[in-house]
Amino acid sequence: MAIINQATKELQVKIVYYGPAMGGKTTNLVQVHDHVQTNAGNKGKLVSLATSSDRTLFFDFLPIEAMTIKGFKTKFQLYTVPGQVIYNTTRQLVLRGVDGIVFVADSQFEKMPENVESFQNLMDNLAAQKLNLAEIPYVLQYNKRDLPNVAPVEYMDFLLNNREVQVPSFAGTAHKCEGVFESLNMITRMLLQKFINQSVPQYA
Amino acid sequence: MATLPQLIEEDIRQLDDALAEFIRQADAIGALIIDKGGFLITHKGDMGELDLTTIGALASGAFMASQTIAGLVNEKNFNSTFQQGEKFSLYILEVDEECLLAIIFTSQTGLGIVKYYSSNVASSIAKQLTAARVRNPDGGFDLSVLNLADPKELFRKKNKR
Repeated sequence: MAIINQATKELQVKIVYYGPAMGGKTTNLVQVHDHVQTNAGNKGKLVSLATSSDRTLFFDFLPIEAMTIKGFKTKFQLYTVPGQVIYNTTRQLVLRGVDGIVFVADSQFEKMPENVESFQNLMDNLAAQKLNLAEIPYVLQYNKRDLPNVAPVEYMDFLLNNREVQVPSFAGTAHKCEGVFESLNMITRMLLQKFINQSVPQYA
Repeated sequence: MATLPQLIEEDIRQLDDALAEFIRQADAIGALIIDKGGFLITHKGDMGELDLTTIGALASGAFMASQTIAGLVNEKNFNSTFQQGEKFSLYILEVDEECLLAIIFTSQTGLGIVKYYSSNVASSIAKQLTAARVRNPDGGFDLSVLNLADPKELFRKKNKR
């Protein structure tokens, strides 16, 4: 969960990119890292703990500073999880303290079972930490829309966005940076909105 | 879920004082208090240009991975990890259910002295963090001046050249 540090005037929040293997989670972070417009020193290094074949082994990590509100710096920590089914323990570790989630789904028709399985896995792993999706802001990104065999967005909404409250979803082509900033900015809005709703008088 | 919603200046001052005293006693280079979720809470010491944000995230991940291994071998007491290098070493100690203490020290400093003094400072840190948690468990952040509809407030993509 987010940390508010009155001494250093910082708000730190954690956003996790979740989804099936090879869906484009790491590509999202790479694109944010390469294209985000920040002041000098506000963007950290993108750290990838990956296998020799560039598959995420533990997580990718990108610290980035955004707007300043009433003198408070907002620091975002962006993480990805490894998508491969066998790394579930690692996914649970990365989810610890999560404030917002971007679920990156693969739009190819044949990947729908993996999308659904990964989404269920997300709910299970949140439940293991006594969390649920109703409490955590999340958005959906339907990635790889440039491929020929993609499922219609409506069908993906039916599969992944069919809960009591529908969340924002974005068509994306992450390697062209399409949908990447839209997803990030929406999850940022949603989780800052949550802070506004929770706001209480401050300590001096 | 227990968390650290808000740390006031007094919290950070107490934590920094405890870390400074520990560094002096143990002859360490630096010490970081880290949330298990990967957030850097505060730090002390002469660590120059080190990327402490990333060190915090990675140290937390490494410790939590070690904790998971403990669970797999039915061991409840993997409460610290130690990485020894040629010049520098890293010792990570669990402070409480939510936080860790990561200590960087040179090869000239013995692990024994670091372990000895770190257990004392970990207790002081845990006490202060507990005070912060119970003070205002639902503390939030006043964002009333933020206009979330204004895209300039959010992440912007560089213009193509």
